[in-house]
Amino acid sequence: MTTESTEVGSVVKSDTPPAAPSTDTTRQVVASTIANDRAMGERILDVRDFSVDYGWGESAVRAVDNVDVHIDRSKVLGIAGESGSGKSTLVYAITRLLRAPGVITSGEARFNLGSDEDGDHVIDLVTASERELRSLRWSSISIVLQSALSALNPVVRVGAQFEQVLKTHRHDMSKVERRARAAELLGLVDLNEDRLDRFPHELSGGQRQRIMIALALTLDPQLVIMDEPTTALDVVTQREIISELFELRSRFGFAMIFITHDLSLLTELADEIVVMYAGALVERATARELYEAPRHPYTLGLLDSFPPMHGERTELSGIPGTPPDLAHLPTGCSFHPRCPFAMARCTNETPPLIEIEGSGRSVACWLHVGDAGGAVPVELNRVSASNASPSERLPEVSS
Amino acid sequence: MTDEMTTSVQLAARHLTRHFSVRTPGRLFDAKRVVRAVDDVSLDLVGGEVVAVVGESGSGKSVLARMLARIVKPTSGDLVLQGKPIEIKSKRTLDYASQVQLVLQDPFASMNPVHRMSHNLLRPLLIHGASKHDAPGLAEAALRRVSLEPPSRFLESYPHELSGGQLQRVSIARALCIQPKVLLADEPISMLDVSVRLGVLNLLRGLCDNDRLAILYITHDIASARYIADSIIVMYAGQVVEQSRGTTLVDEPTHPYTQLLIASVPDPSDPTRDAPPTGERAQTAIAAKGCRFSPRCPHVMDRCRVEEPPAFIVGEDHTSKCWLYADHEAAVEVALPTRRKEGETART
Repeated sequence: MTTESTEVGSVVKSDTPPAAPSTDTTRQVVASTIANDRAMGERILDVRDFSVDYGWGESAVRAVDNVDVHIDRSKVLGIAGESGSGKSTLVYAITRLLRAPGVITSGEARFNLGSDEDGDHVIDLVTASERELRSLRWSSISIVLQSALSALNPVVRVGAQFEQVLKTHRHDMSKVERRARAAELLGLVDLNEDRLDRFPHELSGGQRQRIMIALALTLDPQLVIMDEPTTALDVVTQREIISELFELRSRFGFAMIFITHDLSLLTELADEIVVMYAGALVERATARELYEAPRHPYTLGLLDSFPPMHGERTELSGIPGTPPDLAHLPTGCSFHPRCPFAMARCTNETPPLIEIEGSGRSVACWLHVGDAGGAVPVELNRVSASNASPSERLPEVSS
Repeated sequence: MTDEMTTSVQLAARHLTRHFSVRTPGRLFDAKRVVRAVDDVSLDLVGGEVVAVVGESGSGKSVLARMLARIVKPTSGDLVLQGKPIEIKSKRTLDYASQVQLVLQDPFASMNPVHRMSHNLLRPLLIHGASKHDAPGLAEAALRRVSLEPPSRFLESYPHELSGGQLQRVSIARALCIQPKVLLADEPISMLDVSVRLGVLNLLRGLCDNDRLAILYITHDIASARYIADSIIVMYAGQVVEQSRGTTLVDEPTHPYTQLLIASVPDPSDPTRDAPPTGERAQTAIAAKGCRFSPRCPHVMDRCRVEEPPAFIVGEDHTSKCWLYADHEAAVEVALPTRRKEGETART
C-alpha cells in the first residue's frame, strides 16, 4: 500500500517507532504471539464486516451494521453522525470497552502492532484475550472521552492518575521518573506542573480535557480515539485544544479517530471522513471531497444544517423528520423517509456501500448505482475542486 | 423615544445587574467575594424581532434570561413590560408569566416524565384561566403551531416516547399555549441533533414573523445567531461587549473578544485559515479591574488594565465596549434602537 505524499506521511516514517520500545515488556509478549499475519503495511487499524447488537435474540437492536473502516498511520479518520447513529458504539466495540447488553455479533478489527524482520505483528481486537487487551490499552490504543469529569477519578489527584498508568505499564520507572514524565506530559498540553496536585473538580472543563489528552499520550500510543472531546467545551477552548492536538500529532505521529456530530469541525481537521446513519456507513470520502461535493443526501443535509458564517442569509431547511428509532428502522434505506431524492427502490431495498467508479470514495445510495447514474441530482453531483481530475467519471447533468 | 417605538417594545430591560456572593473557605475565615454574573445589561425585546445573546458558559447569558423571566431577582435594574414598569423586588405575578415565557435548554429535563404531554400542556392553560372545556382545543392548536401533526397523537404520548426535537417543539408549544408576547429561549437547540436544529430555529423565526412574537434567543453558537437574529448581543463575563443590528457584528466584528469567538468557529469553507491569535490562556479568568477581557486580549493596552471602557459607537446601530475605539463617540443609551428601518425586511 502506498502512502499519500503528504506532510503527515513523512512525519510518520521518521517519528513512529516501528516496534515497541524495549522497556515496554507487555507489548512484546503480545507481539510475539501473533506474528506473520496478513500484511497491513501502513494501515494501523482495519475493521471489517463489523456489527454490534444491543440485547439478544428477539429483542436485539442492531446498533452497528456491517461497518468497514480503516485508518492509516498518523492519519485522522473522522466519524460523523447524530446521536444513535452508532458512532460511539462502534469505537467502544472495537476497543472492547463495550459492556453488556452490547454484543459484537460479527466482524474483525485487526490492529497493526508494527513490524520487524519477522513481518507485521497484527492482533484481532475482537478475539484478543483480556490479558492482551490490557497490554494494548494506553500503550497502543488510548481513548479520550467526551466528559472528562466522569472519565477522571474524582477522588484521586491528577498526578496519581498518571502514576497509575505509568506504574502498570512501565515497571522499570522510578517514582521520581514517573513524576517527571507526568510533568512533561502536562507541559505538552500547556498546563503547569502544579496541576498534578489538584483534584479534577478544581480544574476547568478545558483543563480537564487537556489532562485527558495528556493521559492518553502517556505511553506514546499509535492510535488515539477521541469521542466528542470538545463537545462540552466553549468554542474558543475547543479551538485551542484542537490546535494543540494537531501540534502533538505532528510531533508524535499517532493516528487519530475523531468522533463528533459536528461535521463542520471534522471537515477542517480530518483526512478522511465516514458518515454514519442508523448504525450503517452511508458515505466515505476525503474531508475536502465530502465538504465540497457530498454524494449522499444525508451528508448533503447535514452540511446544510450548519448556518454559514458569511455571505447572504438564506433560509436553510436542514433535514425534515427525526432520526430513526433503531428498534423500528424503516425498510430499505433507513434514510428514505427523510430523503428529498427518495425513489421507489429506496423503500424496499437497502443500498450497499459501494465505491463510486474511479473516484476512490464510497456511498450507500441507489442514486449512484448503475442505471440511475444519469439521473443523479445536481446537488449530489458537484465536482470537488480538489478532485477535479479526469478520474471524475460521473456523468455531467445539464441544469 | 417616540410613542411608536415604546408601544412596539414588549419587554425592556435597563441596567439589569445580578451579583452572587460566594464563600471560598479560607484557613481561618471564609473569604466572601462577589461574582458579577450580569452587569448593567440593557436590551429591548420588540414584537416580530429576534434578539440573540451570544456568550460562552459563565458569561451570564442564562442568568439574564432568568432575570427577564423573573425567576432570578435582579440585584438592581429596571424591567418594563409593555410600557408598564415592573417592581423587580416583588414576586413574579401570574400576569407577568402569561406575557413572558421561558423555554429551557434540555427538553428531557423540562417535561414531567411520568405524565403524558396532555398533562404537561394543559397545566399552564388551566393555571392561566382557560376553562376545562376549552383547554384541550387550545393545547392542540399550540401543537399545530409548532408543526406537530396530528396533535392528538402527541397529547397521548409520554416524554420518553418522543425524540429530542419533538420534545423541544412541545416545550415551545407549552410556552405558546397561553399566548405570551415574549418568548425567552435559553439554548433551545444545543441539546438537539444537528439535523433537527434548523427545524427548531426556523420554527422560532416563523413565530416571530407570523405571530409578531418578541424572541430572545440565547446561544453559544454565533453562526446560529447570525442565521436567525435581527440584532445580536455578545456577552463576556456578565457584560455586553458588542452589539449590532443585523449581522454587522459577525461580518465586521470590532471587539477583540467577538473577533476571537468568530475566528474559533470551525469554518470548512476556508481551509487555509490560520489559528486565531490568542492572548493569555482562558483560565487566567476575568480581570477584577479595567476591561474584563484584558487578560486574554491580544490588543491589550495599559489603559485596559485600569479603566473599564464604555460602549463606543463604532458604526450605525453598532457599539463596542473597547478602548481601541476611544476616538469614537461613547454611546449614551446602551440599548440599541430596535425600530426596524424603513424598507428593511425581516430577512433576506
